[in-house]
Amino acid sequence: MQKTVVVDHLCRVEGHGGINVAIENVKIAKVEMDIFEGARFLEASVVGRLYHEVPPILSRICAICSAVHTVASLMAVEDAFDAEPSTQTQLLRELLVQGGNIESHALHLFCLAFPDFLECSSAFALTKDYPQEVKIGLGLEKLGNTIQETVGGWAVHPVNVVLGGFGTVPSKTTLLRLKEQLTKALEGAIAAVGTVARLRIPDFCQSPTLYAALGSSSEEYSLFGDKVVFSNGESRKVSSYKEICSETVVPHSHAKHSHFKGLPFMVGALARVMLNGHKLDSEAKKAKEKLGLGRFTENILLNNSAQAIEIVYSIKRCIQIIDQLLKRRIRNEKLVEIRPKAGQGTPAVEAPRGTLYRSYAFDNEGRITKADVITPTAQNLANLEKNFRALLNCLVDEQQETLQAKLEMVARAYDPCISCSVH
Amino acid sequence: MSKPKIGMFGMTGCAGEQIIIPNCEDELMDILKVLDIRSFRTATSKNDEKCDLDLAFVEGAVVQPEEDVFLKGIRKRSRLLIALGTCAVWGGVAAMKNEVSRQRLKDIVCGSPGRIFKSISAQPLYSFVKVDFSISGCPIEKEQFLQAASSLVHGDIPVLPKYAVCTECKINENTCLLVEKGELCLGPITLAGCNARCLGYGIACSGCRGPVKEANIASEVEILKEKGFTLGDINNQLRTFAEPAETIQTHLAKRRR
Repeated sequence: MQKTVVVDHLCRVEGHGGINVAIENVKIAKVEMDIFEGARFLEASVVGRLYHEVPPILSRICAICSAVHTVASLMAVEDAFDAEPSTQTQLLRELLVQGGNIESHALHLFCLAFPDFLECSSAFALTKDYPQEVKIGLGLEKLGNTIQETVGGWAVHPVNVVLGGFGTVPSKTTLLRLKEQLTKALEGAIAAVGTVARLRIPDFCQSPTLYAALGSSSEEYSLFGDKVVFSNGESRKVSSYKEICSETVVPHSHAKHSHFKGLPFMVGALARVMLNGHKLDSEAKKAKEKLGLGRFTENILLNNSAQAIEIVYSIKRCIQIIDQLLKRRIRNEKLVEIRPKAGQGTPAVEAPRGTLYRSYAFDNEGRITKADVITPTAQNLANLEKNFRALLNCLVDEQQETLQAKLEMVARAYDPCISCSVH
Repeated sequence: MSKPKIGMFGMTGCAGEQIIIPNCEDELMDILKVLDIRSFRTATSKNDEKCDLDLAFVEGAVVQPEEDVFLKGIRKRSRLLIALGTCAVWGGVAAMKNEVSRQRLKDIVCGSPGRIFKSISAQPLYSFVKVDFSISGCPIEKEQFLQAASSLVHGDIPVLPKYAVCTECKINENTCLLVEKGELCLGPITLAGCNARCLGYGIACSGCRGPVKEANIASEVEILKEKGFTLGDINNQLRTFAEPAETIQTHLAKRRR
């Protein structure tokens, strides 16, 4: 008996990919997340360019997560040249990254993932039966975009955040207005948690999962950190990123696959909540309990719930950052001087979909000699295929259409960003 | 009047143009009232891949043979085809190293085990099909998209600026970063429409919207050389977003001779 599931083009995800699965005589013969997105070879394209030209070019890897791509890029250049941005700059950059987290999670949760659980084809169709939910989702997405516009100068590919500081820092009045919007939006985010809590999230996709996320000695939940922690208790410095994501080229994907010590692993909101969730407080902690993520789970469909929790967290964190900026009397600062020299910088930041690595090497003129970018979606691909296998093992007798719907649901739960994965 | 049938498609890029639709948070409900969205894979799993379309919006550059076929299929079924964003209009960042072979770039990124997947030099849509209208920008400006889409839906040709970013910057009375501060600013040769966004923040124009028609590249290059930039660095910046553009190609070819 032979059964195949072929998804030519996976819809409601960013970018171009498909799914190919074949079962022969109750045995899984093929499981492929086919990533056929065009390769732009951006890491090779920037070689030879001057250090300050690199972040705006490599921001173009992805629109949805361009804020975190830009910030990680700036950190890599500054790290290579031993330049330390001011505390104000670091706070503003974090505000930008948190804004991106809100926007990206809201877009995925409400517009791309929700239809899976409400048996509907799109957010457009949802507007009929769930207008209130769509309105809340779009409101949160808009909030994330407003933060990015206010701090970064543009909702996509921020232009105002540069090496050593900012073109123009937002004024006190602008930040106060933003704080007002954030405070108001918190209600919407909590309502969104309520909506997610009412969804029936199936548990057919359970398999032993190794989670990975940035960790730090800080008491607070954070999207920044200097080491990577794994759910099996291991940890590595970010600078060991090549060991963490030992990358291989696979024949069915334009994006590379990653393994840690031979094992696939998962990064993203669920991994962060599993590894650092004990650091969440107040409303985000309540959201975590409400959505049943107070305990360890290996149901990756709950990544959607983890994103809802993080929207609450990011809003609260943005309010905190604005308070700190106001207390410090935010003002235009001179850019920190950058003195190019031969060197290498390797930072990582938690992007909406998981840990984003950057490693740049420069010659003594400040021209980039090597750029290495490892995106979360690329890291997740091997784990996604592992989930597909586990799912097929359990549901081998199901109808083709049911299998296809479930495979798609699992792929979408990862919130894959396929442009990022190939770049 | 029946609603115009719309398709939203992506070649290779960052999805920055497609994301503009959900980013029209306040206008989205109204957009849905007047448009019949038939194909938009990023947003919906119910797509009609065969019907005739009144308007096809296409983002991204063509970097693989399959996309050439896909694009020609879209052209065949669409009354109007609109190139959306700098990648679709000019090739974008994927084209900035078009002078280097794809195999060489692939070797750098994938190493020797790189799969033998086909990759072609990144090209804008007009290299393969007739493009009826172009909206450039990296990404496009949301307001321009809404304005252009609304004109097109009503059967009008959209009116977008035909002058340079430099003009917008002057109207906004910004300090000139090129003349007064000696920065590598491409404002004088770049198509307006962003209201000199970067310059408003004190950041030089990187040319992300592609060249304005009849851009005087030679004069821009002379000014930049006087300011102390090397021809290599100037050419790099010119290549970043619109390498395949004829004005830029002409300049690069002249220098090669």
